[in-house]
Amino acid sequence: MNSHDVTVLGYLAVLLAGIVLQLLATRTRAPIPPLGKVLAWAMGTRTRRVGILVAWAWVGLHFFAR
Amino acid sequence: MKGRPERSGPDGPSSRDEGAGSGPRDAGSRPGSADSGPGDADTGPGDAAIGPGIAAPAGARAAPGHLITALTGLREPIVVILLIIGFMSWISGKPLDGLLIFLVGLSLAWDTGRRARQASPAGASSLQAGGPPAPIAAGQAGVRQAGPRWRRPALLTAGLAAGVLYAVVVGSFTRYSWPATVPVAVLGAIVVAIGWRGPRHTRPAPPRPPAIGLALWAAVFVAACLWELWSLLEQPNLATSSYTHPTISALTDPVLSTWAGRSVVLAGWLGLGWFLVER
Repeated sequence: MNSHDVTVLGYLAVLLAGIVLQLLATRTRAPIPPLGKVLAWAMGTRTRRVGILVAWAWVGLHFFAR
Repeated sequence: MKGRPERSGPDGPSSRDEGAGSGPRDAGSRPGSADSGPGDADTGPGDAAIGPGIAAPAGARAAPGHLITALTGLREPIVVILLIIGFMSWISGKPLDGLLIFLVGLSLAWDTGRRARQASPAGASSLQAGGPPAPIAAGQAGVRQAGPRWRRPALLTAGLAAGVLYAVVVGSFTRYSWPATVPVAVLGAIVVAIGWRGPRHTRPAPPRPPAIGLALWAAVFVAACLWELWSLLEQPNLATSSYTHPTISALTDPVLSTWAGRSVVLAGWLGLGWFLVER
């Protein structure tokens, strides 16, 4: 296993952690909110709402724009 | 996060409760919002509830200038995060990204600081004690029920068709070209502007999720950011991708090198944006 593989595994581990959290949130009674509810709550103030939308816009710019 | 790789490698009166202007529409949070509850530590300085109709106190006039106002807004963590993203984008070879994000971050800092300085303790406390989340505005519900039955499905269908068309057309352009840059930047600016005006719908404010759940999601998000940052710093330089330590951008390059891949990713980006705008 080389550094490339370790790096990719790190990303996969984070992704897996997110999936596990979402499953725990939706399939069990654990005190974990689904990601959608977290985002909905986070959008409840203007500062956070604008910040999240800017982060979304940045993703598009980062992957497609000059 | 990495730089562009080198080739080497319906509303009632309260629905716009956070309008951009001053005056009655310049409230900080939805009345009854969970974010404005007493002792809510995550309510930012600019999001301390500012009630409609609350006049700017004398203290706001006596306050120092715009710089102090902006510095006050820096207490909001997301403003700092935006400024860091802008800076990192700039030094990693994406000056347009960096400039735009930086400008929005500064504007948000100033706006947040301005609203925080306009908040009066009496006005804030009157709203912070607002009790349960506000219900959906009756007027809004009434308008929805009174509209033609076909209107909502028709709008949804038109929106989906426009989204698919956007994804296919913009996806046909080469990455980092001006034809791809303009529609992405314009749409991003429009969505941010919509978000700045306030929520599109008046809904009951969602309750604050359990702290442990928030902490777990935050841990996942921070871990992803740190892993990406580590990979970025392990590159030969910030603008040159590395096979040994690939960033997410480098890993997605094969997908985004094809028209179909770009269109699918753009469709997902659009869908996420729509989801966020509707919150």
